[in-house]
This record gives sequence, structure tokens and C-alpha cells, in this order.
Amino acid sequence: MHTIREDRLMKRVFLSPAVFILLALSIFPLLWSLGISFTDMQRGGSTIARQAAAEGISDGVGFLGLGFELTGRNYQRLLGDGRLHSTVRNTMMYVFVGVTAQYVIGLALATVLNQPFRGRNLARVIFLMPMMMTPVAAAYTGRMFFDSNPLRSPLAHFLREFGKALGMERGISVPWFTDTGWAPVAIIIIDAWQWIPFMTLILLAGMQAIPEDIYEAARVDGANVLQIFWRVTLPILLPISLTVILIRGLEIFKIIDVVVVTTGGGPGSATESLTLYIFEQALSNGNYGYASAIAYILLILVILFATLFLMAGRRLAQGRARSA
Amino acid sequence: MKSKGRSWLRRRSRRPLWQSVLLYGIVAFWCFIVLFPFYWLATTSVKRPIDVSRGPNYMPYVDFQPIPDHWQEMFGSQRESTERHFRNSLVSAVGSTILSVIIGAMAGYGLSRFRYYWGRLGWDNDNIAFWIISQRFLPPAIFIVPFVLLYNSFGLIDTYAGLILAYTMFNIPFAVWIMRDFFNGLPVDLEESARVDGATRWQAFLRIVLPLSAPGLVAVAIFSFIFAWNEYLFALMLTNFRAITMPVLIAGQNNTRGIEWWFISALTLMAVVPVIVMGLLLERFITRGLTAGAVKG
Repeated sequence: MHTIREDRLMKRVFLSPAVFILLALSIFPLLWSLGISFTDMQRGGSTIARQAAAEGISDGVGFLGLGFELTGRNYQRLLGDGRLHSTVRNTMMYVFVGVTAQYVIGLALATVLNQPFRGRNLARVIFLMPMMMTPVAAAYTGRMFFDSNPLRSPLAHFLREFGKALGMERGISVPWFTDTGWAPVAIIIIDAWQWIPFMTLILLAGMQAIPEDIYEAARVDGANVLQIFWRVTLPILLPISLTVILIRGLEIFKIIDVVVVTTGGGPGSATESLTLYIFEQALSNGNYGYASAIAYILLILVILFATLFLMAGRRLAQGRARSA
Repeated sequence: MKSKGRSWLRRRSRRPLWQSVLLYGIVAFWCFIVLFPFYWLATTSVKRPIDVSRGPNYMPYVDFQPIPDHWQEMFGSQRESTERHFRNSLVSAVGSTILSVIIGAMAGYGLSRFRYYWGRLGWDNDNIAFWIISQRFLPPAIFIVPFVLLYNSFGLIDTYAGLILAYTMFNIPFAVWIMRDFFNGLPVDLEESARVDGATRWQAFLRIVLPLSAPGLVAVAIFSFIFAWNEYLFALMLTNFRAITMPVLIAGQNNTRGIEWWFISALTLMAVVPVIVMGLLLERFITRGLTAGAVKG
């Protein structure tokens, strides 16, 4: 039959473009940067030297004469790099605090939007809006609001008046971007403002897929609103919750734009994220080898996070299933 | 429609007053949290510098006099720059969107309708699909060095082609994932009857399958567009001058001219408006695309 032969060809035609692009632009760079991470490659070598280094890596040969040397020094250097350690800490904090806050608030808002009320469709559209803002723009807007000068920032103005109303002489003043403790908080709030809608949207869709009779049955059994939420809604939402938390967590690992625009990593390196540090090592300092080594640390952290999270999620789901 | 209205009434009457108050309170509060920053951007973009630094001024005409100067500047003396960056963003976003939709739909269709087996790896369709989506979650930082080297040696730095290629790579995983899910939900009968009537696989795909999957295609297009439009890291890294996009322009305001909040606000609104308009028009598709598969499972 000609259709079978045709299909054998067509099935390749359909899949190949995607696979080819991913192999060329994702898998190849991935392996290449692993190779670079084991060299002392710097910016500024000639094109020939660069190509030779790339080929040399695949052969496993050092290129002493061309300026690139096969070395494990980058990975040794990681251990003693205090700035790196603080960027790892910051990134982990962005991920864990950020995801938790976004999930809790997103879930609350989804619960609200799942109630029938007048103007619900409009509210849903409005709730969605921050997600569409360019992250760089959201960061600038955040920077305006977290300005500590009450003459410029409406938030600082509000806090001052609010503090005065509470009886404090000078009102509340928060040194958002100049204090090492508050600066990460501001960044987490900006990221949360932008991405809570994502959580809300997906959790809401999950809630709306729950059939009404399950609630009805729980009500007949005499469960109150809170019990229904804990015992019915949350367990049913568990798989989709794990998915959104994982997606957001992995996204926050990549954070750079908000940090660049608001604090540039400061004060000191209190807000610097891993991606920003890698970017600076690679493009400002031209340390290609070292930047690649750090990037691999980031990759390992991401994979660890995803694996541990999925394992914990599976165990949680099994526990739920057994207790139910 | 009618029955919906009735159930709404019935349920509402069941709800105690305090719950209604709480509900509307939360909704109003969150609408404020979302909308006030947009309002602040809009008003800042028409304030005199003195009104920005000696404020805060909230109401136009009440506590400050709005001026159109910054918008005029953006479309007047800065016109060349504004247009160029806007065009750069548009070209790279639209270009990568088109490519991602085409390539994603093809691969999604393949993974949904054929059975693959990559013998050497022992991978079947599910493994391949998982491998593709997993690419989406690789930290982009890992691509910084190889992309700079690769783009330098192919002369792709600061070109549309370079940006389009990079964004397409980032968008493909998601596109494939959504489209595969969409095609899985589409009955095979129609294609098969078309093929019995003598259509080739390709014709059936183009004439039958694609028109039926418009909602999925639109969802993919929206996501690809928004991603490319908002992307910062790669735009910063792969452009120097000619191909700089809006996010890089906005982020760079900091260094080049000092912080001119009023001008940044106008620029920001410029960058946000196309996405918001598109998002509001196509809100339904966004929900459908985001939740494809996630809810069924």
C-alpha cells in the first residue's frame, strides 16, 4: 500500500524540524558549554583558536598553544567563591519564598473567582493583566513603588501616613532597595505581583473541572466550608498544584530581569541571582570557562529541585490515596 | 443562559451576607493591587518632572496638570528610536511565533498520530514528548556562552534572524506540548475519511486538521508572541544596536539618560499595550491553552 510507505516518510517529516532545531540549538550548546566549563576559555581568542578549542574539547585534547587549556580549575574555584555562594542562597530564597507566596495567594484568589458573583468575568480578566506586562516594565514599576522617598512613591507615602495614623511620629519608612534584608523582599513581591495570575488561572481551571456532585455529597455528609476545602478541593487539586508549583519554581530559577532593573544585584550582592552572576562572568568579565561551570551548577540545582519535588509530590499523592 | 442566571440567584441567596462582603472585599482589593500600578504608569507618563519628584500626585487636573510632552517626545524627537525598537520587537516576536506555530503543530501532529520508536535510546512517543518539553525548563544561563560563540561565528549577532532563531528554539517545546494535547483530543475519523477519499496525509493535515485546531494554534501563537515580546536576557546578549528590542531599551534607560520616570512610564505603556490588547481579546484562548491537558489528568 502506498499510504504505508507515505506514512513512514511523513512521520519523519512532521517531527524532524522540531527535533533538528532542539538538537542544534539546545542539545549541542548544552554539551558544548559542558566542554567549555572544563577549559580556561576567555573572551578575545581568535576565531581559529575558538573553533580549535571547540573541536579540541570533543577530542578531549588540551590546547596549550592556543590559549585554552583543559582544566578542572573552574570547578575548584566554585568552592571558594563567596559571591557565588550568596547568589546560590539568593536564588534558592527567590524560588522557595516566591513559589510559596505565589501559590498561597494564587489559590486564595482562585477560590474567590470560583464563587459565583456579579462581575466575575471582568474580575478574571483584570486579575490576568500583570502577567502580560513585560517583566522589565514590571520591575521598573516596582522600582517606582518601592522607592523609599514618600515624595515620589505612593507606597512610601501611604506607609508614612499609615504609621502616623498609628501614632508613630515619622511614620513607617522601609529602606526597600538599600537594605540587604528588604531588597530581596521587594524583588519577590514584584515577581509575585506579575506571576500570581498564572497560579490563579490554572488552579481556577482545575477547580472548575471538579464536578458539583462531589461537593454535594460532602455537604450531605455534613462537612463545612473549611472541611470541604481541605478534604475535597485541595486533594483533587494536588496534581495540578504540583504542576504549577514546579513550573513556577523552575521559572524563578531563571530570574534576572527584575534584579537587573531594580537593584543590579546590590546592595553588595544581596539580591544577585545565579543567572545574573553567570551573565556578568560571561559578558562583563569574559570568563567563558568559569561562567559555564557556574551555569552547570545552576543546571544541577534545577534538576535536583525538579527531581526531589516530583518524588515528594508522588509520595504525597500516594499518602493521600491511602488515607482516603 | 437563562438557567445560569437562575442558579446564580439561587446560590447567591444561600450565601450569608458576611461571605458576600468578604468576597467583594477581596476582589476589590486585588483589582486595586493589579490596576493601581497601571494607573500610576499612565499618570506618571503625563506628569512634569517636578510633579514626579515633589509628589506623590495622584489625580490629574486635581493635584497636577497633565502634559503630553513625554508622549510627544517619544513620537517626535525620539521617534526614530521608538519606532526602530518597536519594530525590532515586533519582527522578532512575529517571526518566531510563525515558526513556532508551524514547527510545533507539525511535531505535535506527528507525536499524536504516528508511533515513533528511537531504537538506540529505547524512546517511544511519550519519552520524545517529555524530552521536548524538558528543554523548556533548562536554565537559559547555560546557553549564554555557547550562543555568544555560535552567533559570533555565524554572524548572527544583532540580526533579526538570530533573535528569531533563539526565540523559536525556546518556544518550540511548549508549542509541541500544547499542540500534541490538542490533536490527541481531536477525533481521527475526519482525517481518515478524507484519506479514504484520496487525500494525502499532508493534505489531510492542512485542509482538515489545522482548521479544526484553530483554538490550539491561537493559544500557541499568543504564548510564543508574549514570550518573545517580553524576553530580556537573550535580547540583551545577542544584540548591540540594530536589533535591540523594547525590553532592552527600557532596561537601558537607567544608564543612558538617568532615571526619567515619566519617559520610562510612557515607553513601558508602549511596550505593554500590544500584549494587553491581544491578551484581553484572546483571554479565552489563553485559559484553554494553559490548561490543555493539565486539567484532564
